[in-house]
Amino acid sequence: MRKGLVQVTDGKERLGHWVLAISCLCLCVTGLGMMFHSFNFLGTLVGGLANLKMIHNYVGLIFTISLLVMIRMWWREAGVFVFPEDMDWIKAAGGYLWHVDKVPETGKYNPGQKAFFLVVAIFGALMVVSGLIMWFPSVFPVGLVRWMYPLHALGFVVIFAFFFVHLYLGTIGNPGSVQAMTTGWMEKPVLKMLHPKWFKEMEEKGEFIEYGVEPKPKETGHH
Amino acid sequence: MSTKPELVKLIDTTLCTACRGCQVACKQWNEMPGLRTKQTGTYQNPPDLQWNTWTLIRFQEYLDENKKIHWLFRKDGCMHCTDAACVKVCPSGALHYTPLKTVGLDRNKCIGCKECVAACPFHIPRYNASTDKVYKCDLCYTRLTEGLPPACVKSCPTGALTIGEKNKMIKKAYARVKQLGGDANVYGDKFVDGTHVIYVLQYKPEVYDELPVKPSVPLSVVIWKDLLKPLSLLGAGGVVAGSFVHYMLHGPKAPPPEGTNEAGKTEGGE
Amino acid sequence: MQITRRGFLTMTGAVGGGVALSTLGINLNPVRAYAEELDKMQRVKIAKQTTTTCCYCSCGCGLICSVDKGTGKIINIEGDADHPINEGALCAKGSGFFQMTEANEHRLRKVLYRGPGGDKWEEKDWEWALPRMARLIKDTRDKNFIKHNAKGELVNRCEAIGHYGSSNVDNEECWLITTMARALGIVYMDHQARVCHSPSVGALAESFGRGSMTNHYIDMQNADVILIMGSNMAENHPMGFRWVTKAQERGAKVIHVDPRFTRTSARCDFHVPLRSGTDIAFLGGMISYIIENQKYFKEYVLNYTHASFIVDESFYFKDGLYSGYDAGKRKYNKDTWVYEYEANGIPRRDMTLAHPRCVFQLMRAHYSRYTLDKVSSITGVSKENLLKVYEIYSSTGVPGKAGTECYALGWTQHTVGVENIRAMTLVQMLLGNVGIAGGGINAMRGEPNVQGSTDHAILYHILPGYLKTPSASLDTLEKYLTKYTPVSHDPKSANYYSNYPKFMVSLLKSWFDAKATKENDFGYSWLPKMDDGKHYSTMHMFDKMYEGKIKGFFCIGADNAVSSPNTGKVRKGLEKLDWLIGENIFDNETYQFWQAPGVDTKNIKTEVFLLPASASMEKEGSISNSGRWVQWKQKACDGPDQCIPVGEIEIKIMQAVKDLYAREGGVQPEPILNLYWDYLDKDGHFSATKTAQRINGVFLEDTVIEDKTKGTQTLYKKGQLVPGFGNLQADGKTACGNWCYSGSYTADGINKMMSRGKEDPTGLGLFPNWAFAWPVGRRILYNRCSVDLNGKPYNPKRKLLEWKGDKWVGDVPDGPWPPQALEGGKYPFIMQRDGLGAFFGQGMADGPFPEHYEPLEGPLTRNPMSSQLINPAIEIFSSDRDKIERASEKFPYVITTYSCTEHWCSGALTRWQSWLLEAQPEQYIEIGDVLAKEKGIKNGARVKVSSVRGSVTAVAMVTQRLKPFIIEGKTVHQVGMPFNYGWLFPGDNKDDSTNFLTPTVGCANTFCPEYKAFMVNVEKA
Repeated sequence: MRKGLVQVTDGKERLGHWVLAISCLCLCVTGLGMMFHSFNFLGTLVGGLANLKMIHNYVGLIFTISLLVMIRMWWREAGVFVFPEDMDWIKAAGGYLWHVDKVPETGKYNPGQKAFFLVVAIFGALMVVSGLIMWFPSVFPVGLVRWMYPLHALGFVVIFAFFFVHLYLGTIGNPGSVQAMTTGWMEKPVLKMLHPKWFKEMEEKGEFIEYGVEPKPKETGHH
Repeated sequence: MSTKPELVKLIDTTLCTACRGCQVACKQWNEMPGLRTKQTGTYQNPPDLQWNTWTLIRFQEYLDENKKIHWLFRKDGCMHCTDAACVKVCPSGALHYTPLKTVGLDRNKCIGCKECVAACPFHIPRYNASTDKVYKCDLCYTRLTEGLPPACVKSCPTGALTIGEKNKMIKKAYARVKQLGGDANVYGDKFVDGTHVIYVLQYKPEVYDELPVKPSVPLSVVIWKDLLKPLSLLGAGGVVAGSFVHYMLHGPKAPPPEGTNEAGKTEGGE
Repeated sequence: MQITRRGFLTMTGAVGGGVALSTLGINLNPVRAYAEELDKMQRVKIAKQTTTTCCYCSCGCGLICSVDKGTGKIINIEGDADHPINEGALCAKGSGFFQMTEANEHRLRKVLYRGPGGDKWEEKDWEWALPRMARLIKDTRDKNFIKHNAKGELVNRCEAIGHYGSSNVDNEECWLITTMARALGIVYMDHQARVCHSPSVGALAESFGRGSMTNHYIDMQNADVILIMGSNMAENHPMGFRWVTKAQERGAKVIHVDPRFTRTSARCDFHVPLRSGTDIAFLGGMISYIIENQKYFKEYVLNYTHASFIVDESFYFKDGLYSGYDAGKRKYNKDTWVYEYEANGIPRRDMTLAHPRCVFQLMRAHYSRYTLDKVSSITGVSKENLLKVYEIYSSTGVPGKAGTECYALGWTQHTVGVENIRAMTLVQMLLGNVGIAGGGINAMRGEPNVQGSTDHAILYHILPGYLKTPSASLDTLEKYLTKYTPVSHDPKSANYYSNYPKFMVSLLKSWFDAKATKENDFGYSWLPKMDDGKHYSTMHMFDKMYEGKIKGFFCIGADNAVSSPNTGKVRKGLEKLDWLIGENIFDNETYQFWQAPGVDTKNIKTEVFLLPASASMEKEGSISNSGRWVQWKQKACDGPDQCIPVGEIEIKIMQAVKDLYAREGGVQPEPILNLYWDYLDKDGHFSATKTAQRINGVFLEDTVIEDKTKGTQTLYKKGQLVPGFGNLQADGKTACGNWCYSGSYTADGINKMMSRGKEDPTGLGLFPNWAFAWPVGRRILYNRCSVDLNGKPYNPKRKLLEWKGDKWVGDVPDGPWPPQALEGGKYPFIMQRDGLGAFFGQGMADGPFPEHYEPLEGPLTRNPMSSQLINPAIEIFSSDRDKIERASEKFPYVITTYSCTEHWCSGALTRWQSWLLEAQPEQYIEIGDVLAKEKGIKNGARVKVSSVRGSVTAVAMVTQRLKPFIIEGKTVHQVGMPFNYGWLFPGDNKDDSTNFLTPTVGCANTFCPEYKAFMVNVEKA
C-alpha cells in the first residue's frame, strides 16, 4: 500500500468474489475427479471418491449462496449491456486480439467482463439447478433428470472456458489488474487504461478513493 | 489362450410359475434383507425393485384379443447390456464390465451419485439413502467364476431360467419362440448391442408392464459421454493453449509508460 | 467354462454319511481368521457342506447347508444339485431356508413358561420344566383315566389329554410321539394329516389297497395327459410342477380344473373354472363319458379290477341313498354291500361285464345320471369345457398312453373328501392308468413328513403301518386279529394283509419288548381302545375341549389356533385347558392363545410350556416325501441355546413320567413302566439311528427264516436288523415299529435311507438307489398292472416292469410272484383282500360309489342329483358355536380357502421369515371384478369377510381371474382366501385367522374339515 493507489473494490466485493471463485474452483476440481476416470485419483486425497462427491455437493451450496449474493451485487453494472458503446468494443475485440489504436470506451465493466458475468450468472445458475436435481433425482421425472447430466457437463465446459480466459486476462494478460481483487487498490494508469470511462467519471465527480486521502462523502454507486 | 466365454441368461416367461424362488434365492445368496411391505391387491411384492430386491417378479393380468384371461409373469432385473448406459455414466468405475461381459457393481467404489439410476433404459439400479450406495443384480459374478450358476438360475423349478454360452442361448430362445408361435418373440438380443439377459416373451413387448419397447442408451448420455466429454477436453485444452499462444503472440495489455497515452504516444510531448 | 447346476456344491460322499468336500481337490486348511472378510463365495467354499431335506411341501427337495467351521453356524443354504427331484432348484420357501436357522432372531431359544393368569412368557430351563410337566401329565392321567367304559369293556384310556402334531418332525420322532401317546392311553391324538390328506389314505386304500401316492413326482414327466384338479400345483408343490413342465416339454397336455385361475392355470394348456365342492359331479360325468364312449382299457378292467364281480341283490341305490341307511344315526349298515360268492368262497364274476348287477354295470347305471346338462348346471362348467376335458383325458385309455391326476387339498378338504378321490380312482382304473409310468393318482401330500407321520400313525384311528386302532369290543388280540386280517379264498389273490398278525405282534414287541409275551397277548390290553363307532379326530377333540372335558394338550409343531376349523370355537376350547405343552421353533397363536385379541388373560388358568425345538437341519433323521421316498437328513449344526430335537423332548418327558410312576405307582402304570424306551445315545442325546433301527425291525432272538421258493434257510442272529417285512414273525421273535419301513436297513446295518445312487436304469426317473422308498424300495405301486397277463409291458416305450424268463426286470415288482397268467401268478393289487382294483367301495362310510352331495354350507337349497342335499353320513357337531347358514342372502358367496407358494399353512413358520413375508405381507381375499364392482370394493381396500361363525378382515384383491358361475340358473360368486395369517406376528394389523369363518364339519370317512367350500359375505370394512 502506498500513495497513488486508488480503491476499486470494497471488502464485500472481494470477499464475495473469492468465495465464489474458490468454491467454483473447488467444484471444478472435485467435479473433474468424478468426470474422468483418470482423475478418480483426486478422491484418494480426501479419503475416497464418495467424500469427493460430498465435498462437491456441499461446496456447491456455498457456491449457490455466494452466486446469488454476487449477482445481486453486480448485475446492474456487469449484467446489462449498453449500446452502442458495448458493440463498438466488441467489434474491436477490446483490443485484445489485434492492435487497435483506440479501444472504444465502455462503462465500469467492458462487454468482455459483462459476458463473463453473464456466463457465470446464467451457467452458474444452471449448474446449481442441474446439480440440485442430480443430488435428489428421485423427486423428479427421470426424463428431466437425464438431461441434467449433459447440461451440467456443458455448463462446466462453458464456465471453464470463460473462467480460464478471465484468469488469464485478470492476471498476466492485464498486468496490474489482479490487485483489484487482492488488495482492492489499483495503479491509476492501469485503471485508466482498462476502464477509461469509469476513470473519467470518478475523476470528474471527484470520487477517487486515493490511498492516504480522506474520501469525499459521496454515494459510491453500488451497494 | 483362454478367453472367458460370453454368457447369456435366458428368462423364458412362458415357463415361469412366479414361485418367487429366484426372488428369495437372490436375497439369500446376496445377504439382502426382507423389508415390511403392504398388500395392495396384487401378488407383486415388493412393489418394485429396491436396493434390497435385485430381482422382482412382476404380475400382470392380461386379456388377449379374444378376451381370454392370461396372467403374465416377468422376472425383472438388470439386463447386463453390452453397451451399458450405467457403466458409461458411472464416475467411479463401480459399474464396470467384467471379464464375462456382465455388468458388475463394486459397491466399495460406489459414491451414491445415482447417475446410473437415471441413465439405465430399463430403470434397474436402486439407491439406498442410508448406505449412500446403489444396488443391482451382478449376475452372481463370484458364482460364475467358480462354475456355479447364478442363485436365481439354480433355484428355478421349471427351468424358466437357464444360462449358457451366448450363441447357444440365443439359438435356444429363437427355437422356443418358433415353437410357441403367435406373437412370441425374443427380447434383448437386438438393442444396446445385445443384452446378456434375454427374454422369451409370449406377447409383444408393449403388452408388458415396465418393459421399454425400444430401449437404448439415452440420447442425453450419448451426447454427454460421446460428445460433450471429448469436447470438454478439446475446449479446456483449447482455451489453455489459446491463452498461452495469445500471451506469446499478442502479449499482455500493459499500461503506457508514464507520460505516454494509450497509443504509445507521449503525452504532453516526447 | 462349463456352467452346470453342480459346481462344487455337491456331495461326493457315499452311503453311510461322511461327506467329501469340494471337488476342487484343494487341501483347505481353513484360514479361519479371515473368514469374515472373505466374500460370500469364498466363505461358502471353505465351509463344511451337509445335506438336508426341505421341511415344507412334501416334494422332498434336497438342500445343502454350508457350515462355517469356526463358528459352527450355517452361512448359506441352497439346493442340492445332485438330488434327482429338484436338481438344485428350490421354490421361495426352500430358497429362504436360511431364515429358519438361528440367524433368525425370532427363533425360540429358551424354555418358556406362562403361569395361570399370566400375561407374559417367563424364561425357564429344562431342569425346571421337565418335572413340572411330568407331574401335570401324571396327575391329569391318573385323575381322568378310564379303565372300563359304560358298557364295562376294558378300554384303558385317558380322554382328558389331547395331542396334536406333527407332520413337521422326522419319522423317528413321529414314531416316538405315537408310541408315547399310546402308552399314556391317549385317544384324542391327531395331527396335520387329519386336516390334509386323511381322505387320501381312506380313498386310495379302498380302491387299491394302500393309502399313499401311487407314483412319485419325477414320474409325472412320463405322462401324456396330466389333469391337475383339486390342486394348485405350481403354487403349492412347485417342484412337483417341475416334472409337469418336463412332461410338457415332451408334448404332454396339462389341464387345470380349479375355481380360480391361478399361477398353475397360467402354465397349463387350458383352465376350466368350476364351483368348489362339485368335483364328484365333474368326475361323474367323465366316468359316464368313458364308459358310454368305450374309452376304457377293457383288458385291464377285466383282469386287474373287480369290475366283473357281481354284487348281492340286496344292494341298491335310490334317490341319493344306498341300501342300509339309518337316518337317525346318520350311518350305513353295510351288510348289503357285498358280493355274490361261488361255493369255493371266491366272488362270482361275469367276464362279459353284461350282468346287470356286476360292478361295471352298477357303476354305469349310477353315472349315467351325470348327464352333461346336469353336471354343467351343478359345477358351473360349460358343456364345451366338460367335453374338452373328458375327450383329452380319456384319450389315455389305451396301452401306449398314460394319464395322471395330481390333486391335493382341493379334493380332500370336503365333506365328500374321500369320495372326490375315489371318483378319480374309478376314472384311472377304467383307463388302465394305475400302476404304469406316467399314470397313477398323485396325492400330493401337504407337509414335509406328513407321509411319514401318517405311516407312523400319529392318528387316532390307526397304528404304525396302517394297522387299525383297536376298538373296545375287540377285547383280545385274537379277536382283533381275526377282525382285521382279511381272508381270501382265491389262490390268485396275494392278500398280503393276511400277514397282519406278523405286523401287529412285531409292533407290540417294539413297544413293550420283553414285557410283551404270548401270555399277556403281547401287551394288547395295555393299548387304549376306542369305543365302537366313536371317533376322536381333531374336530372331535376341539369339540370336547370346548366342553371343558380336555384338561391337557400337547401341541407339537403345529398352530391349531390358526389352522383348525372354526377358530373361535378352538380358541375358546384352549382357554379351558389346565395345561398346554408346546414344542416348536417359533412362537405362534396357539401357544399365546391367552393373549389373543379380546381374550380375558387374567382369568385363563392354563399353564403353558413352550419348549424350544431344533429345526429340521439341526438334527439327523429321516423324512418321507409324498412319493414314499424316505430320505435321511444330516445334522448341519446344533440348535441354538436350549433347543433340542422334538425326539429328545419326547424321550425326556416320557422318561420323567416313567420315573414318577416307578416311584409313586399310579393308575394303570403297566403301559408306561413296561414301555421300551431306550433311544438315547451314549451322551444322553436323542439317537435317530437307534429309533430308525427299531422302526425297521430287529430280531429279538436267533431266528431261522425259510424261503420256500428259493429253498433257502437263513439264520439271523439276535440283534440283527430285519432286512424286510417278509421276515417278520407273529410269535414274538421280531420287533418292528412299522412294517412299511422294514427294509430301510439291510441286515448288515447299512442305512438305505442315506443312499445317494444316481442310477436310473429304466430311464423313467425311478432312481432305485436314491434313499429308500417303501414298501421295499418300490417306486411305483401296483406296477404289475403295467404288463399284460404274461408279463409283457403294455407300453414298450415306458417299460416299468417286464417278466423276462423267470424274473422281473425294472422297478421292484409289486409282489414277487410271476405274472397273473403264469403258474403261481397273482393279481396286481396285493394289499386288497381280493387282489383287484376296487370300483365298488365296500368300506366307505358314505357309499360304495362316489355321489355328488352339496357342501354342508352351500348356495343351493336342493341337490340337483337327489333329495339328499348334503352327505348323509357326515357327523354334525352341535355346540353353540356350530352354526350353519346355507343358501342365505346374508352369506351369498361361495368361498374356498388355500395356501400360497410363499407361505406355509398357518404361516407359523413363514410369517417370521422376512423374505417370505415381504413377498406376501398381509391377508387378502381374491374377489372377482364383477362382484367387486357390485359391492363397490376397490382393489387394495380392506374388507370384512364374515360367515355365520365369525368374521375377519383382509385386503381385497380384485381380479379378473375369478368369474361368477351360473349354478342351477342363478349367478353364484366364488371368492377365495389364504389361511396363512394370524394375529401374533407381524402384528401390525388386525387381520386374524381365516378359519374364524370355517365350519366344524368334515369328510364322512376321515373327518378332514371342509375348508374348501362354505358361504360368506364380503363388505367394505
